[in-house]
Amino acid sequence: MSNWSAALVGNPNTGKTSLFNALTRSYEYVGNWTGVTVEKKVGQLRAHGGELIDLPGIYSLQPLSKDEGVAVQYLIEEQPHAILNVIDASQLERNLYLTIQLLEYEAPMLIAMNMNDVAEGRGMKIQEHKLAELLHVSVIRVNARRNQGIPNLLSSLSTEGRSMQDSTSRFKLDYGKEIEQAITELVRLLPAVQHLAPRWLALQYLENNKVVQQWLQEHAPAHALAMMNIRNNTEKKLQAAGKALHLAQHIRAVRMAFIRELQDVSVSRAQRTSATLTDRIDAVVTNRWLGIPIFMLVMYLMFKLTFEWIGSPVSDLLDSFFGGALTDWLNDGLAWAGASEFTRALLVDGILAGVGGVLVFVPQILILFLFISFVEDSGYMARVTLVMDRLMESVGLNGKAFIPFIIGFGCNVPGIMAARSMEQPRERLVTSLLVPFMSCSARLPVYALFAGVFFSSNQALIVLSLYALGIVLTLILAKLFTKMLMKDEQSIFVVELPPYRMPQWRTLFRSTWEKGKGFVRKAGTLILGGSVLIWLLSYMGPGGFNVDMDHSFLAKLGGILAPVLAPLGFGTWQAGASLVTGFLAKEIVVSTMNIIYHAPDMSLLSLEIGKAFTPVSAYTFCVFVLLYVPCLATVGVLRKETNSWKWTLFSIGYALVIAYTVALIVRLIGLSLGYV
Amino acid sequence: MKPTSAAPSSHKATLHRLKKGKQAHISDMSSIHETVQQRLLDLGVTEGTMIKLIRRSLFGGPLMLEANGQLFGLRRVDASLIGVKPL
Repeated sequence: MSNWSAALVGNPNTGKTSLFNALTRSYEYVGNWTGVTVEKKVGQLRAHGGELIDLPGIYSLQPLSKDEGVAVQYLIEEQPHAILNVIDASQLERNLYLTIQLLEYEAPMLIAMNMNDVAEGRGMKIQEHKLAELLHVSVIRVNARRNQGIPNLLSSLSTEGRSMQDSTSRFKLDYGKEIEQAITELVRLLPAVQHLAPRWLALQYLENNKVVQQWLQEHAPAHALAMMNIRNNTEKKLQAAGKALHLAQHIRAVRMAFIRELQDVSVSRAQRTSATLTDRIDAVVTNRWLGIPIFMLVMYLMFKLTFEWIGSPVSDLLDSFFGGALTDWLNDGLAWAGASEFTRALLVDGILAGVGGVLVFVPQILILFLFISFVEDSGYMARVTLVMDRLMESVGLNGKAFIPFIIGFGCNVPGIMAARSMEQPRERLVTSLLVPFMSCSARLPVYALFAGVFFSSNQALIVLSLYALGIVLTLILAKLFTKMLMKDEQSIFVVELPPYRMPQWRTLFRSTWEKGKGFVRKAGTLILGGSVLIWLLSYMGPGGFNVDMDHSFLAKLGGILAPVLAPLGFGTWQAGASLVTGFLAKEIVVSTMNIIYHAPDMSLLSLEIGKAFTPVSAYTFCVFVLLYVPCLATVGVLRKETNSWKWTLFSIGYALVIAYTVALIVRLIGLSLGYV
Repeated sequence: MKPTSAAPSSHKATLHRLKKGKQAHISDMSSIHETVQQRLLDLGVTEGTMIKLIRRSLFGGPLMLEANGQLFGLRRVDASLIGVKPL
């Protein structure tokens, strides 16, 4: 029964990820939903033959943002064998709203009630057997973080789904005679799709669910008009009867009335006791005066941890291993095996220099992602959007755009994906276009190299100035883009602030690894291939093999660009060649230099860089690398997210123009101040 | 639904004028942007809901509010379109 699958559905911030991690052994598959880059996670259930599919967190089946649309699309197009609905006991009312819509979907269902400790802290006592009785579905109390109730949940998710099957179809809410009649009429017009409950489809249609309406438009175009008439007539009847102004509003009111009854029977409340921990933390971190300084401090800590306290020392150790011991072993081993000079050069000067030059940054990248995951899971990220909203509003965006920007510091690819939580399409587009200016960790090796050579006493300051330049440019361009592109769209900002929670290490490590392993994979594929190609281009020339580097194909290629780059102060073929190859991935700029300058480790490369650049041209080069083009992977995700080649090409084009202009200005300022 | 067309008159009590720490019942949400309204509904905030103003931010930044034990952030301009009945 390997194909048996259950879907995990629930509101955001209900501990869904913790529950997913507690229920599954490993990720069977992490990928994207078809057509959109919303992450699709499938896990293998523990002690169970089946799979668990993690749907994006949703409040209701009426989609507002892209990731919410995905969940509804999934329910329409695929049929899970069962639904596992996770609910937050402390927010029963709004959680049960989704539950009702899911029950109407009529798949075998099971409810996992989480966050019981928070509910009890608020003086709520929930009798889950009463909930179960009235909803005709099993309700199991769990504590996802402590693994409580998990075995019970797993055994209830029986692959036969027998115990679940007969119960759910009994749940039926009476929506009053007008709507019930409309449902009956609609059901007759619906296309016969075996796995979809007609009543659910009809209700979602009446509620104005955009995804369902579009689906019906495609599958029953002949009845589109008739269905619309039923909808309009019913709304008129409701208005005439004085029951409601809008159909959707009436349906919601019926459901809410039912939920209130449900709560009256199953929940008893005591007076809420004292200020919670969340209240006390919020009093400090969202304080009107302290909020922004505290956020700055958190960012400062993040960079300190990543680049000074933990990340860099480990990276240095790795570097000395790759450049020293490993190079020696490989040389010795190859000599012993009698390998040809070509093989030796390919392996040592090409692959080891190229791939090793990138792998050394993996520790820093993992630390950065760990920190970002911590900020996300603790609940602080939501506060950041609140604290930063005023600033973002002044450039036409909203506080939620800050999340993609912060994640973009780690890597632009997940940064752009994070923009999908924004409701307004144009706002999402502008945010996605600007994320590439966030200096991702792949650009750091370039700054680290140049700052180390030319500005060793002010290294941190120089690197910080580059990050700041990216942010300032982003804000200016945001103002410009929102003025141009968002004329008839209002920026929307409503953000839920979940209670603070200590993130769980298991969840943190799992998500850090999920994000970070992309880098390792990239080192093994794209950068490995790129390094071989670059090395070959440097090894071959019009004159044959093993030519002098200055007469290689790489020199010819870089030479074409050199005159264009000359006004910026780095008009050498080496700079040109490394910028071209840097489009594959920004860290390849360093790999290329390792190969071009015949410098397998950083100290040798520093020496060569010191000869080839001046302080001003070095800083200008860093500015150019910060801004010039999004890397290949980022371009790919931009294409997918914007679904438009026009915007993708625009993002490359405008970045090049900005990079050239800003680099030129920086150089002129530097020269006029008397630096060389 | 254009929020500007239904700007509240000055004598009507609106959410953004609520004092810090004070509670009120929401009486009118008809003037706000449809998407904002849907998001608030998602959080269980609708007409009749009791709402409390927890904190304001500087320079007219967003308000921090609480309803049904749930904290959330809302822009001042949106709050100014929500009618309330103070307790």
